[in-house]
Amino acid sequence: MKELLIGKLNWQALPHEWFTLGGAAALLGLGLFLIILITRLKRWKWLWKEWLTTVDPKKIGIMYFIVAGFMLLRGGLDAIMIWLQQALSSGASHGYLSSDHFQQIFTAHGNIMVFFVAMGFVFGLINFIVPLQIGARDLASPFLNTLGFWLYVGGVLMVNMFFLLGGKYAATGWLAVAPLSSTQFSPGVGVDYMIWALQISGVGTTLGAINFIMTILKMRAPGMKLKHIPLFTWGSLCSMIMAVTVFPLLTATLFLLFLDRYAGMHFFTTTGGGNAMMYTNLIWMWGHPEVYVLILPSFGVFSEVVSVFSRKRISSYTSAVLGMIGVSTLALSVWLHHFFTMGAGADVNAFFGLMTMIIAVPTTVLVLTWIATLYKGRIRFTTPMLWFLGFVGTFAVGGMTGVILAQPPADFQLHNSLFLVAHFHTMVIGGVLWGIFAGLTYWFPKIAGFRLNERIGRYAFWCWLIGFWMAFGPLYILGLMGATRRLDHYTNSSWQPFFIVALLGGLVIMAGVVLQIVQIIASFMQRRQLADTTGDPWDGRTLEWSTPSPAPFYNFATIPKVATRDAFWEAKQLGLPERKYEDIHMPRNTASGIYIAALAFLAGFGFVWHITWLIVAAMLGIVVCVIARTFNEDTEYVLPAQEVEKLEHERAQKALARHQDIHTDTFEEMGLREFVRVAIKWVLDVIRNKRWRTL
Amino acid sequence: MSQEHPEDSRPKREPGTLESYIIGFCLSLLLTALPYRLVVTKAVTGNTLLATILGFAALQMLVQIFFFLHLGRGPKPLYNVVFFGSTVGLIAVVVGGSIFIMNHLHYNMTPTEASNQLAQDEGIYQVEGTNTGACQKLNAKHQVTISSGKISPIDTKAQLCDTLTFMNEDSAAHDIAFGTYPNQDTYDGQTKLMLRKGGGMTITLDRSGTYQFYEHDNPKIAGSFTVSP
Amino acid sequence: MADTMTTEMTHEEAANNRAMFGFWVYLMTDLLMFGVLFAVFAVLHNNTAGGSSGRELFKLKLALIETFLLLTSSFACGLAMIAARQGNKNQVLAWFTVTFVLGVAFLSLELTEFGQLIHDGNTPSSSAFLSSFFTLVGAHGLHITLGLLWMVIVMAYVLARGLSSSMVRKLTMLSLYWHFLDIVWIFIFTIVYLRAFI
Repeated sequence: MKELLIGKLNWQALPHEWFTLGGAAALLGLGLFLIILITRLKRWKWLWKEWLTTVDPKKIGIMYFIVAGFMLLRGGLDAIMIWLQQALSSGASHGYLSSDHFQQIFTAHGNIMVFFVAMGFVFGLINFIVPLQIGARDLASPFLNTLGFWLYVGGVLMVNMFFLLGGKYAATGWLAVAPLSSTQFSPGVGVDYMIWALQISGVGTTLGAINFIMTILKMRAPGMKLKHIPLFTWGSLCSMIMAVTVFPLLTATLFLLFLDRYAGMHFFTTTGGGNAMMYTNLIWMWGHPEVYVLILPSFGVFSEVVSVFSRKRISSYTSAVLGMIGVSTLALSVWLHHFFTMGAGADVNAFFGLMTMIIAVPTTVLVLTWIATLYKGRIRFTTPMLWFLGFVGTFAVGGMTGVILAQPPADFQLHNSLFLVAHFHTMVIGGVLWGIFAGLTYWFPKIAGFRLNERIGRYAFWCWLIGFWMAFGPLYILGLMGATRRLDHYTNSSWQPFFIVALLGGLVIMAGVVLQIVQIIASFMQRRQLADTTGDPWDGRTLEWSTPSPAPFYNFATIPKVATRDAFWEAKQLGLPERKYEDIHMPRNTASGIYIAALAFLAGFGFVWHITWLIVAAMLGIVVCVIARTFNEDTEYVLPAQEVEKLEHERAQKALARHQDIHTDTFEEMGLREFVRVAIKWVLDVIRNKRWRTL
Repeated sequence: MSQEHPEDSRPKREPGTLESYIIGFCLSLLLTALPYRLVVTKAVTGNTLLATILGFAALQMLVQIFFFLHLGRGPKPLYNVVFFGSTVGLIAVVVGGSIFIMNHLHYNMTPTEASNQLAQDEGIYQVEGTNTGACQKLNAKHQVTISSGKISPIDTKAQLCDTLTFMNEDSAAHDIAFGTYPNQDTYDGQTKLMLRKGGGMTITLDRSGTYQFYEHDNPKIAGSFTVSP
Repeated sequence: MADTMTTEMTHEEAANNRAMFGFWVYLMTDLLMFGVLFAVFAVLHNNTAGGSSGRELFKLKLALIETFLLLTSSFACGLAMIAARQGNKNQVLAWFTVTFVLGVAFLSLELTEFGQLIHDGNTPSSSAFLSSFFTLVGAHGLHITLGLLWMVIVMAYVLARGLSSSMVRKLTMLSLYWHFLDIVWIFIFTIVYLRAFI
């Protein structure tokens, strides 16, 4: 009876170790804090109507940023814990973590950073920027977009659920390689949590990607041909096409792993004729292209940034586009380089080694295109540009170490070493994450209506750059000295200084993250002075800068007509066209996405704990919701032309008033000292007067 | 909202006509019955037969794509044709690549070896209290030296998870192969260690037992090592 | 954007066009998932772990009948679509009923086969070969089941609301889905069943 009702759940599943107690307290505390805050501010209705059920890609983009930002802190905490253990655990000392706990931490770190930080930020940027860049008012299917976002949130919750119930995350490494992830080695629920976190968010990714492909291919502004679309949109298109190609592979593979665990099948087991290497083979078919899914939008961001801040068009649009297409085309032909040492013969290794070296070519073409764009440009060293410059140097090192690893003989020596760890962190932090930071800084005025503080932004950048090399430079050296990855303890005491430097580097990176948070708060304090009243703070080239900042919910009052690349730049040279208002079709908000995602979460939870009734009920619920949604014909409304005109007029008035309010000559951006002074003053004020004051 | 891709023209719905469905249906029946007959009667055998029936399946796919799905007759540009074509290519890569790779993985490694090596490569020696067969940390270091055509020591005794370094102090390069001549074996996932002159290579002793090795071009130069658990 | 361009579609036409394209991309992702299952079957089909092989377990005649049932239902679905474009509601309902009945027949044959295998002790957890067989064929069967469910709902809506342009779009999607399952089945028939008897 108990089995029927709550499956495998029991009292031991409740948190009882220091880290699960801590995690559970943090999760519940955060939840409780938010609930109290929203209730006190009486904002529940507003939150539900304006945000949670929204179909506006801009709002969904912002929600992606917030969730991914939180997960960055969560994954960063894991990273610091790993560094600390490795700095301490030399010789006689065994550090402060058990080896099992240490393994769970690096597994969670990998899953969170790839699926919930990088993917979250990438989808956030694409959501916010792509429709604006192609002159569209919304997405091809606004509903799929909210569904994708909420499935992603479901995955985020699932990956943290082990704190509350279960107590253990997977200890198998971020890919859950079989047979380590089989019930033989991992009988607990950790691997199940991981499978369902990835499954739920993975389905969301596939749906979101389908939606963006439809949007980019079918909803561009009149006259905008494929050869005109901005490079960020190109990067996103390539990335999304890669995503619909490889995420189904992930879903199917994880599904088979799930069948092994749940139904006792024999795909990847060591018994019954299963073949564990098949899992490795399949998962890397997804895993390698996934890196390109993440980095292609970043390539797009850098293309925009480098061109705008050099005040030049990109040196060769064609080679940039061909570079991106080349990377995507070759991406699915290199996956074996992740297991060169697994017994393949010379033919196979040579083929995949060669393909891996070839894929460096289109990437190099891209890098050279950006550098050529700098040449003779009138460069402005703003923070997005700094991120770009930091990226180019770092990425070049990452690329070269990648080519070293691509050669099977060298890989036989370097596989499973810290050299490899350093290599892919160079690509993912230096390439993906800094691209996202560059993009966020560059488009922040469009998102929030004011620019970010450049001064503190520069400090944050330098912390990241220096911290990164302090943290990962030693890992390259350690790798060459023979240190393997994922060591929770080592006897060779000559390694310890390097691990300590790495830890210090990690702390410097953390300082960079704190500075980024300070940067946002400081910019918010000075939002009046930093306000972007023109909609075009950087003298931009693409259509997103032709609407006011922050962009109105209908994006464009008049849909622009496009005849060239850099459409807005051309329009500025020729004079902006006259505005003619028209009726606008807008999608209605819907809660279907949030319901379906919640049910999917419940179904996943049922699968983790073997609660059959919950699985059946949740699945039926999903079917009902989908049917109800597909046959709902009332999903749009019309915003009349007069209404648009009125809104535009009001906005223009407000912008004018604000513009006159800014005294650029006397304004100085807040520095750190000033920030601390204002912050202390504010806190004291709150304490003394016992009431909130807005900053 | 309602803007549409400029290259799109108003969709001229060319509905599949009755004839096209009937032709498609008849062809499909034929293309199902023929391979069935071939298999039952064994008119051809082996790989020829396999290739033939796969050919029939591919042909039938094309027939259905054309007569039932009317692919390629929608509004231009034909993105759906592009997507379909690349999907077929990708599936060929996924299926063909898997067969290609999986058949070759056992070239140098048995499935059990592969399982152990996987754990070693993942750097995970224990999951939830169960040993995976990987080494947690590397213990003692041993060395085998090849100098003027001689190996010393001839037999090395070591513990599991020690490391063994082969040093070449000769003036010529040596290739060390595992096994006894001429039967080549593997160890630590490697068949052969190529040592340039003055160079060395290190292996992790992650399997217990006694193992032989020899110089690939001069099998008289041989030795062994014993790994005790 | 009802303005100057004569080639412009209306708002609704454009939305239908996009949705059809999106559905097509979705079908491609589904096809890739089947690709993985086919790859797994191709690699593991000889790993019977001492149990029976496909040649001993499968009945080729049964598979042939299943194939003909599915082919005919696909044809009936096509006839329903012709009727839908002509706006002939009764014919649409009639042909979809034929499609549905044939689909149910197919599914019950498949379930009988599964039941027989499991009854004889050849379960999905017996060997890697049977795991991959049941998963590949079962995944197709699950798609068929969802398709049948979808068909019932669509037919109910056609009965209630008639054939609007968005309804025709939904019917077109359903027919795409159905034809596509037919194509997947052809490969299952060839690679799983016929291949076992070579």
